[in-house]
Amino acid sequence: MKARRVKKLDPRGSLADNAARIVGVRLEEMRSFAAAALEPERTKDQHDMRIAAKRLRYVLEATEFCFGRTAVTARRRARDLQGLLGELHDCDVMLPRVERHLADLRNVDAAAVRKRAGDSADLEPRLAARAAHRTSYRGLEILLVYLQARRRLLFDRFREFWAEQEQAGTWDRLERSMARRVREARERRRAEKLAERARRELEAAEREEREAAERAANAAAELQAARRITRPQPASPRDIGHH
Amino acid sequence: MAKARPIPGLAAEEPYATAAAKIVAVRAREVADHSQGVLEISDVERLHDMRVATRRLRAALEIFEPCFPKRQFKEALREVKAIADALGERRDRDVTIGALEDFSSGLSAPDRPGIASLADQIRIEQADANARIEPFVGAQRLAALSGRLSELVVEAEALAGSEAA
Repeated sequence: MKARRVKKLDPRGSLADNAARIVGVRLEEMRSFAAAALEPERTKDQHDMRIAAKRLRYVLEATEFCFGRTAVTARRRARDLQGLLGELHDCDVMLPRVERHLADLRNVDAAAVRKRAGDSADLEPRLAARAAHRTSYRGLEILLVYLQARRRLLFDRFREFWAEQEQAGTWDRLERSMARRVREARERRRAEKLAERARRELEAAEREEREAAERAANAAAELQAARRITRPQPASPRDIGHH
Repeated sequence: MAKARPIPGLAAEEPYATAAAKIVAVRAREVADHSQGVLEISDVERLHDMRVATRRLRAALEIFEPCFPKRQFKEALREVKAIADALGERRDRDVTIGALEDFSSGLSAPDRPGIASLADQIRIEQADANARIEPFVGAQRLAALSGRLSELVVEAEALAGSEAA
């Protein structure tokens, strides 16, 4: 089962912020299998749920120190769930394996017994009673009974375990904790963006203010120069004598 | 099962890429350290410890994927997965043989031959699985993996450094 992709991971962000996103997705993934996996025959969903529990367990193992007790408890319960579903899966793998082995032994015995019968018109029962693997069948049949019964017992335990965890709020608490962390990180990033925008706007306003002051100073200097040129010149004493 | 080694100086608020470098460096060392004696069938715990260490390394790589260059990441992960699969194949047989032996000890002697015949068959598979592990735990192959992982650690450190600047 391919793991669901975790979106918006940010290498610039903190370990805890990114871990919260990953844990949130892995938890949701694990819980999404529950409805189907709680049906006894849905072995594929039980197997997928085990893989999902394992992924959740491992991400928590690396990052639980960021989140405190809620995460530690959830990691332990994910480990228990993985173990339980693993045992269930072992039964599912082993049952057909034992059946195949029994069938193989039967085929070998049948071929040997048939050979021993040679040209007889019919088969003597005592030939089958002396088959090479005659002592193997009973133990393997007992093993099949054991595996079937164990599977049922483990499935009952799985169902009880899941109900207990739902009732105890193990997953809900983890989900809330991760959602809070993701929300806080989002708000922090938004606040940082706003602060950055305000800083840039302030810088622009200050620059404009400086430029306006420069322009005003230049205009004042030009005005003064213009006044000097246009001001009437006082008459010289020689000019006065002629009159 | 060997406990995961603590990661020195790891902090929740440090950059994701810095944490990636620290965690992958420690988990990579764990795999190398547990590679001794895994082919020893009489002591199945050695293989189990290496398998767990490999699983932890794989998890760390997957958790920190965005901190590594794509191509190098894929190559390293592919190798780690191949080792994990090979170890898993033998571990499954180790566990099954152990379970069959336990089960058989609870049966009366006349009921045991069938279980023994099944266990014998699985022992053959165990030996085959062991032979398939051999190339992965050779010194040269492990050194190559270690080199690849060290490159990833350097890249993650560089990414963390460039972002801090």
